[in-house]
Formats: sequence, C-alpha cells, structure tokens
Amino acid sequence: MMTSGRGFVDGTPLCRCVGRALAVLLVLLLVPKVGASTDAAVSVLYAGSLAAVMENGVGPAFVRATAISYQGEAQGSLGGARMIHDHLRSPDVYISADPLVNQKVLMGPENGNLVRWYMTVAASQLVLGYNPTSKFAAKFGDVRAGKLSWYELLETPGLRFGRGDPSIDPKGYRTLFLFDLAGKFYHRPEIPRLLGEPLNPAQVFPEVVLLARLESGEFDAGIFYKHEAVAHKLPFLTLPPEINLGDPRFAASYAQESYDTKTGEHVIGAPILFTITIPETVHRRAAALAFVKFLLSSDQLLTGFGFSTAAHKVGGDAAQVPQELCDFNTGAFQP
Amino acid sequence: MTPYLNRPANRHVNSLLWIFGFLGLLLLLDLVLPIANLFFTSNWTAASAALRQPEALQALKVSLRSSGIAILTMTLLGVPLGYLLARAKLPFQRFWIALVFLPMVVPDLAGGILLLRLFGPYGPIGHPFDARNIALTNNLFGIVLVQMFVSAPFVVASSLAGFSSVDSELESAAGTLGDSAWQVFCRVSLPLAWPGIFIGIILAWIRALGEFGATLVMAYNPHTLPVFLWVKFESEGLAGAQPIALCLVLLAVIAAGAAMNLNRFTGAADVLAPVGKATKWEN
Repeated sequence: MMTSGRGFVDGTPLCRCVGRALAVLLVLLLVPKVGASTDAAVSVLYAGSLAAVMENGVGPAFVRATAISYQGEAQGSLGGARMIHDHLRSPDVYISADPLVNQKVLMGPENGNLVRWYMTVAASQLVLGYNPTSKFAAKFGDVRAGKLSWYELLETPGLRFGRGDPSIDPKGYRTLFLFDLAGKFYHRPEIPRLLGEPLNPAQVFPEVVLLARLESGEFDAGIFYKHEAVAHKLPFLTLPPEINLGDPRFAASYAQESYDTKTGEHVIGAPILFTITIPETVHRRAAALAFVKFLLSSDQLLTGFGFSTAAHKVGGDAAQVPQELCDFNTGAFQP
Repeated sequence: MTPYLNRPANRHVNSLLWIFGFLGLLLLLDLVLPIANLFFTSNWTAASAALRQPEALQALKVSLRSSGIAILTMTLLGVPLGYLLARAKLPFQRFWIALVFLPMVVPDLAGGILLLRLFGPYGPIGHPFDARNIALTNNLFGIVLVQMFVSAPFVVASSLAGFSSVDSELESAAGTLGDSAWQVFCRVSLPLAWPGIFIGIILAWIRALGEFGATLVMAYNPHTLPVFLWVKFESEGLAGAQPIALCLVLLAVIAAGAAMNLNRFTGAADVLAPVGKATKWEN
C-alpha cells in the first residue's frame, strides 16, 4: 500500500508543475506559428533521382526568384505516381522521370484523369558512375585513357556492380536496355550477360540505397543518370549516345528494346526525358504555375546539374495546358 | 485487499476514472482505428490470392526464417547479458545498461548505414570475410544482423528487469542449501524471471519481423515481408501493398495474442516490470 497519501501531498506542487508544463507545450504545438504559414508553399512530388537537384538547386533558386515557399518530396517515379493515383498524395506539381508513367498511371478515365497534360522539361543520359576510392580505380583511369573498354572493365573478377531495380524504377529497366543496345553496338553479344537475370539480387538495389552503397565503398561501379552523378560529385564515364538513351536522334533504335515487368506492363526503350505537370490534385494553382514556369525557363540551372536541354513538348491534351504556359509549348510530344 | 480504485463509490475516484478513461480512449483511437480500418476495408479474397503469389510466400519464408534465427541467437546471448547486468557488480554498470538500449534510439535507416559500414564488403569486419568469398550483407545473414541490432534491446531489457525482480534472498537460500551457481540460475532465477523474459522475446520477435528501414539498406535481397511490402507499394500502389500489410498486421496480432495466453500458463502477471528492482508497495 502506498504510504497513506504521502505521495499525493508531496507530489502536488510537482504534479501541478508538470501539468502546467504539458499544457503549455500542447498549446505551443497546436497553435500555428504566426507568420510562418505554409499555405502559399508549392508542394512538388518528384522522381527520386532528382532529389539533390531539387533540394539544392531548383528549390532554393525558385524561393529566391519568387518569394514563394517550396516543399519538395522525393519518391520513386512510379511509386510517386501510384501515390497520387491512390489519393495518398495531392501535390501541386508532379515531375516524372519517364513520360510513360504519366500516361499509364495518371492519365485517362481509367485513372480518374488525374493528369491531362504534361510537358517535357529536360533530358538525361545513363553513365557509369564509380567510386574513386575503389580498389579498381586505376582501371577506371585506363578506360578514361582509352586503354580499356568500359564493358571489359565490368568483366573484371571481384568488381562490384550495382543497378536500379527494374520492377520499381525506370532507371532499372533503362539499364537493361543500355546493355542490350551495347551488345548490338559493339557486336559483343556477351555484354548483356554481365547483368545476369533482370532482377539479379547481387546487382539490383533501390535508387537511394545504390548511391549510398557506392559512396560508402560497398560498390565499385553502377549505372546512374548523369545528373545524379553530377549532384553527388561521383566520377563517371560517359557512354556513346547510341546506347546511353540520352539522344533523341537514336529514338528509333532505343525503341527496339523492351521489358515486361512482373505486373504485366510492357515498357519500350525511349530517350530519357523528365516531364512536369500540374495534376488535378493541385491546391495552390498560382504557386504551381509559377513553379512550372520557373523550371521551364531554368535550362541553364539544369545543365549545370548535368541535364541536357530538351524541347518543351506537350503530351496528352494540349488544350488543357494552362494559358500561362502556352508560350513554352514547342509542339506535340509523341511517346 | 481491495485495490484502492475498486473500493465502493468514491466521488473523487469516479471523476478520475472518467477523465483518465476518456484520455486513454483518445490514444486508443489512434492506435486501433488504422488497424480496424484495414481489416474492414480490405478485400479478403484479393488479399488471400495476393498472399499465395510465390514472391509473397518467399518473402514470408525469408521473414520467418530470419526472425527465427535472430530470436534464438538473441535469447542465447541476451538472457545471460541481462542476468549479468542485473546481478554482477560491473564497473560502469549504468554505462553498459545505456549501451544496450542505444539501438532503440538510433533511427532505423541510420542503424542500417552503421551496420553496412561495418559488415559491408569493404567494412572492417566484412572485408576479411569478403576476401574468403563470404558476404555478410544482402543475404539472410545480413537480415539477421539487422534484426538483432534493432530488437536485441527488448530481450536484454526484459531479462534485466526479470532477474532484478527475483528476490536475491531466494537465490542465497538456494546457495546455502548447497546448489551450485548454475543450479541456482536454472532452478530459481530463470524460472522466476522467465515470464517477463518471455514477453521481451515475443516483443523482440515482432520488432524483428516488422523491421524495414535498416533492412532496406543492409539487405534489399532476399526481400523480407516489409521490404516486399515496400516494393509492392512502389510498383503497384495501394492495391498491391494492402494484402501484404494485412498479413504483417495479422502476424503481429497472432504473436501478441499467443504471447499473452502462453504467459497465463507460465505464471506471473507482472510481465512488464519496470527496469530495475521492483518496488514493493505493500508491506
């Protein structure tokens, strides 16, 4: 038995004190901060590979230029679209790493017409990123000097090579296309076999994990977008435009490649293009328009981050593109 | 004797019960409603079909096997550690106890990175193994390492609490009657402390089963159930992920339910004794 009442009598001032402190804390947490309202902030959901570009480049530059606050969220390109589709996210702006993701997940009556149009923003290409402290670093130097080809380097026993997961990440299946194209381009049919199975557990990782593993030295090399390598200050080897999926001139030969995902989707090779749209989930239309305008006129900023410029073409229903953005439209996009 | 709160009507006690009941209910809503919602809105036929997919079964198998290995290892290593912390007069006692609890406050993702840097192919421990072609990450072993990292504190903490609550006079008595230290441990300390330890083991198992963040970094392959849930969520959205979420919740509910019932058979009720010596309220 608790000694009669002592705890209560002694505890009263303490109890009061704790009670008051809790009440004050609760009030402080619940009352919105005056003057720090995020009502005007534009919320942008974007493909995961853009994280560094958006958070260190575009976001801050947008805030400086427009005084509108910015709230970014990185998700897998496909995962992000699925979240909008399932009403788990309602961003003002959505940026995808693959035009097809818009069309398959967000557009059309079967997807509730959540997106009616999109515009291509910039292009990127696949590169072979590597860890400068890898024990094979000298060999990467040989490739740079032209003494060794990149695929011979990847054949080196013991070299750890990583790539994206084709079941959750466009970069994953694009890597499959890259190696297939390389086999044809160099007339070396053994090149695609370097990858093993499409989902080879020894190579396949989620985007963020792959970068972390390469940077921490768990991997020697991996296939990345050029802008990822630039943003993470990762040394990389560029690959010929015939195979790097970065050059629209080779769109026809890219389109020879295809991959069937486990969910039964048939994806076809295409130049890597990032697209932007204002989905129907938009809450702050004016801020969203300002952001899209800003990004479409930031070619210089984007090239600084390793992107290549791309004509801003419209996919979907061009009549739905907001009036304010029509000046940027340079034609129809045919996926 | 009748507990204070259960004594015949007392106006003050009543208002206390009502207010505490209301406050508790608010918290319960947050805890229980999401699960109830999942159960009531799930399409059970689609869920059972999704769970029969070979990938889902494979993930379930990986999860059960890894958490099983993790739990056995943790019990073998964690219970003795708990005993040591409760009974031996170690230098820097509080420091060791704090150390055991450390993984509980390290965020999952950070834990995964810590482990990867140590056990990865170029890490100080991983490297010598790697030179002999033994990988410690991205396989079942890596998953077990992660699960032990995040859930071992439950086993050690419950053992520490369990052994601390055993009256040391009972142990001395057994000792004076001629039992060896091993016999005292096996016949007196362990049986008395076991109910609490057992609950700790079950909590650790549930924690291991649900571990995601660190596993993603340390061992993306083979997929455990939570990693598989994430892959489904990323590739197929809610429709693909919901059945797996349902399965994970069911597993946890079954484990928790089983633990409570089993505990009834094993005895004592004070299963979640606070860390440190149990305070005696009654004389």
